[in-house]
Amino acid sequence: MFRYLMKALCLWMMMMMFFSCSRDESAVSEGTQAKTASSADKDAAVIRLEGGDWGYPTPYAHYPRGPGGFKMCLIFDSLLERGPKGLIPWLAEKIEISENGKVYVFTIRDGVKWQDGRPLTPEDVRFSIDYAGRHPMTWSYVYGTIDQVAAGPGNTVKVVLKQPAAPMYYNLGLTRIIPSHIWQDVDRPKEFTAPEALIGSGPYRLTQYSKEHGTYRFEAFDGFWGPRQRVRRIEFIPVSEPVLAYENRTIDLVRISPDLLPRFEKDPENKIVRSPAFWGYRLLFNMEKAGPLRDRRVRQAIAHAVDLDELVAKIARGAAVPGRAGILPPDHVMAADVKAYDYDPRHAEALLSEAGYGRADAAGIRFSVDGSSLEFDLLCSSQEVRMAEILQQRLSDVGIGIKVNSVDPKTRDTRVRNHDYRLAVIGHGGWGHDPEYLAAHFSGRLSTLSSSPSASGLAGFDAPGLEKLLDRQQTEVDPDRRREMIEQIQRLAAEEVPEIPLFYTTAYNVYRPATYDGWMFMFDHHSLLHSKLSYLEREAPQP
Amino acid sequence: MTQTLKSKKAVEYLLTVWVIITLNFLLPRLMPGDPFLFISGAEGEDIARFSEAQRAYYIDQYDFDSPLPVQYGQYIAALAGGDLGYSIYYNEPVAPLLLRRLPWTLLLVCSTVGLSTLFGTLLGGLSARYQGKWIDRLLFIGLIVVSEIPAFLLGLVLLFVFAAGMQLFPLSGAMTHFAAHESAWRIFCDIVLHATLPIATLTLVRTGGIYLLARNSIITVMARDYLRTARAKGLGRLRIFWRHALRNAMLPIVTRVFLSLGTLVGGAILVENVFNYPGLGRLMREAVMVHDYPLIQGIFLLVTLTVLSANFLADLIYKRLDPRIDTGAAFPAVREAG
Repeated sequence: MFRYLMKALCLWMMMMMFFSCSRDESAVSEGTQAKTASSADKDAAVIRLEGGDWGYPTPYAHYPRGPGGFKMCLIFDSLLERGPKGLIPWLAEKIEISENGKVYVFTIRDGVKWQDGRPLTPEDVRFSIDYAGRHPMTWSYVYGTIDQVAAGPGNTVKVVLKQPAAPMYYNLGLTRIIPSHIWQDVDRPKEFTAPEALIGSGPYRLTQYSKEHGTYRFEAFDGFWGPRQRVRRIEFIPVSEPVLAYENRTIDLVRISPDLLPRFEKDPENKIVRSPAFWGYRLLFNMEKAGPLRDRRVRQAIAHAVDLDELVAKIARGAAVPGRAGILPPDHVMAADVKAYDYDPRHAEALLSEAGYGRADAAGIRFSVDGSSLEFDLLCSSQEVRMAEILQQRLSDVGIGIKVNSVDPKTRDTRVRNHDYRLAVIGHGGWGHDPEYLAAHFSGRLSTLSSSPSASGLAGFDAPGLEKLLDRQQTEVDPDRRREMIEQIQRLAAEEVPEIPLFYTTAYNVYRPATYDGWMFMFDHHSLLHSKLSYLEREAPQP
Repeated sequence: MTQTLKSKKAVEYLLTVWVIITLNFLLPRLMPGDPFLFISGAEGEDIARFSEAQRAYYIDQYDFDSPLPVQYGQYIAALAGGDLGYSIYYNEPVAPLLLRRLPWTLLLVCSTVGLSTLFGTLLGGLSARYQGKWIDRLLFIGLIVVSEIPAFLLGLVLLFVFAAGMQLFPLSGAMTHFAAHESAWRIFCDIVLHATLPIATLTLVRTGGIYLLARNSIITVMARDYLRTARAKGLGRLRIFWRHALRNAMLPIVTRVFLSLGTLVGGAILVENVFNYPGLGRLMREAVMVHDYPLIQGIFLLVTLTVLSANFLADLIYKRLDPRIDTGAAFPAVREAG
C-alpha cells in the first residue's frame, strides 16, 4: 500500500516539474491579441486592471469600498455624473430646485434604453429614488430623506424632501437608477443577485465575474445613449504585486509610491500622474470633559507644536500634502485660503503659558495653578504607532505629555464612536466629497442625513458661530452663497482648531499612453480608474 | 476497541464540536465594533458612509439587535438544518462561498502534506543512514534554516525570483483568466503551474519539521534489537530500511502530519495572500477585517472540523500501521508522539 502511494507521489512530482518548466504559452490572452491591433488610435479594444473581488456590481450587492462602487457605476447610470470640475448632467438634462430647497425637479433625457432593450422612463427614475429612500443603496445617501416622488408631467420627476438639505443635490444626483420592471418585487435588494439584477443603462455590461478569483469582464454596451466608449472591453484580473504586474504588462495602470518613481521616470513609454489628495489622517480632540482641550489656545499650541512636514516626510515618505487648518484639502473644489499653523514650538509654548500652563514638573510636563496637567492619552491603531510616536515627541518638546495607546483598528473606531478617548488619530477617505461632512466633523452629531460615524469623533466642541453657519449651509441651495458660507466655515475652523488634519495622502499613477490615454480624475476622488468618464469619449481626454 | 470506548470517544468528539461551535459564535461578537461600523479605512481606500439610520436598517435586517442567547439559539437551529448563515460582506450564503474556495486550499494543503512528508521522510532516512557524516550535517543545517524562514517571506522570494525575474511561473492567482485554453488538459496544466510556487513555499517551510522527526525516529528504530536480527538474517540494506526501519519509524511521522494540519492551514493563509490565491486563507483574512460574523463562524467551523477529522483519521491510520494498538490507549499515545 505504502509502495503504491510513494509511486503515485513520485509520478505527481515529476508531472509538476515537467509543467513547471514548460510554461503554458498557448493560453495566450485574447485581450493581448486584440490590444495590439488598436493601439494606433489610442482607443483600446481591451485594457486590463488590477482585480480582486469587490462584489456583485449591483447598487446594493457590491462591497462598501471604492473599487466595488465604481464597477457598479459602469453598468448603472445616475441623474448626474462626476466630471473633472463638478457634477455634470447625465440621465437628467435639467434640474430645478425650489427656493426653500425641499423640491427637486429633474427633466429626464429621452431615448435612453436599458440593457435589455426596454426604454428608461421617468417612472423608472421615480421608482429608483423612492426605492433607495426605503432600502439604502450601498453608495447612496437618500435613505430615509424622501417625503414623496412623482413622475410627470412629461419627462419630469419631482422629488420632495422631508427637510431641505444642500447635499441632496449630490446625493440625489448620484443615486443609481434601476429598472422598475426588474426590481419592483425585490424585498431584500442586498441579496438579489440574479442575472437580471445587472441590467442597467450604463456604458458597459458585465460579461464575466468570478467571486473567488476576483475577475470581472465588462464589455461596451452598443445601445448606450451617451458618449462613445473608447475602451471596448475592461478586464480585472487578480494581481499579487501590482508593480511587477505592470512591468510584465499584465495590467495597464498602477498606483505607485514615490520611492518607485525613478524606476518609471526613465522610461519615456510611461506617463506619471499625481493623484489629488483626498485621503487623510486627523488628530481628534475630545472636549466633552472639562479640561485643557476646551481652551482654544491649547489646541492652537498643539497645532503649532506638530510638524506636519515631518509627518509627510517620515510617515508618507513624501506622498502627501500637509493638513490644512480649514479641514478641506487643497485639492477640494471649495477649499478656501485659511490661516496656517507653521511649526513653531516657541509660539506653542507662549500660547500654553498664556493659557495658564506656565510651569512644568520634573518630567517637563506643564501644569496650571489649579493642578491640571497637560498629559493626554493618544489613541491610535496599530498601524499608526510610528505617527503617534512622532506626535508624542513633538508635543513633549513643548511640555505636553502623551501616552500612546495603540489598539486594533476596529477597537479604535468603536472608542472614537463612543467618545472614549482624549486625543485620537484616525484616517479615512472621502475628503473630496460635498463639504457637508464638516457639520459632522465639528459637531460630532450622528446625523440621520448623509453623515456617518466616519465623519464624527469630535465631542464637546462648542463654537456657536460656527454651528450656526454649519446649520445654515445645510439648507442653502444657491451654490454661490453656499460656497461663501463654506469658505467662512473653513476660516472659523482654522481659528478654533476643533481638530488637526495631519496630512492628506496622494499617490502616483503610471500608465502607458500608447496603450490607452483617456484617464481622468473626477473632481472629488483620487483614483483614475474609478472615473466612469475615463473610459468614454470626452472633449479633453487628457487628465 | 470495545463498545464503551467507542461511545466514550464519540461523546468526546461531540463535546469538542459543541465547544467549537459555541466559541465560533461568541468570539466574533466579543470583538469590538460591528460589521456596519465604518469609521477608518485602509490607506487610499474609500469606504461607504453609513448613516445611523442605515446602520439601524442593517442591524435589524440581520437580527444583530436580538439578545445573544436568542441569536445563539437561531444559529444552532440553522446549523442543525445545514445552514451556515448568510455572509454580510459577500452578500451570499456562507456554505457555497466556502465550497468554492475550499478546493483551492485543499489543493495547496494536500499537495504540501504529500510532498513535505515524502521529502522530509526520504531526507530524514538519508540523514539517519549517514548519521554524523557531511551529508547529514548539510541536510540538518540546510533544512533547519529553510524551515525557520516565515512562509510569507519565502513566498515573496520565490515570487520575485521565479515569477518576476525568470518569468517561469505566473505572478498570482490560481489560473489564467479570460484565456482561450485548447483543452481540459491545458486548463489542468495551467492550474498546476499557478499552484507550483505556493505549494513549493509551503513544502519548503514544512519539510524541515518532518525531516527532523523522521531522522530521529529512524535513528531510534535502527538501534532496536529486531533490526539487528534482520541484519543477522542477512537481509539487504534497502529491504531492512523500507520494510523494517521506515515502517516502524512512520508512526510518529503520521501522527505529526495529521496533528499539524491546523498549523498548515495557518501557513496557507499567509501564502495565499502573497500569491493572491483564491483559497480559504484569503477569505478568512477578509472576513475578520470586515467583521463578517456568519462567514467567520463558517470558516472557523470548517477549519476546526477538518482538524478534528484529521485527528480521527490519524487514529484510524495509526491503528492500521500498528495493529497492536486496538484500545482506547492509542489515542493518548498519538497525542504524546505528536
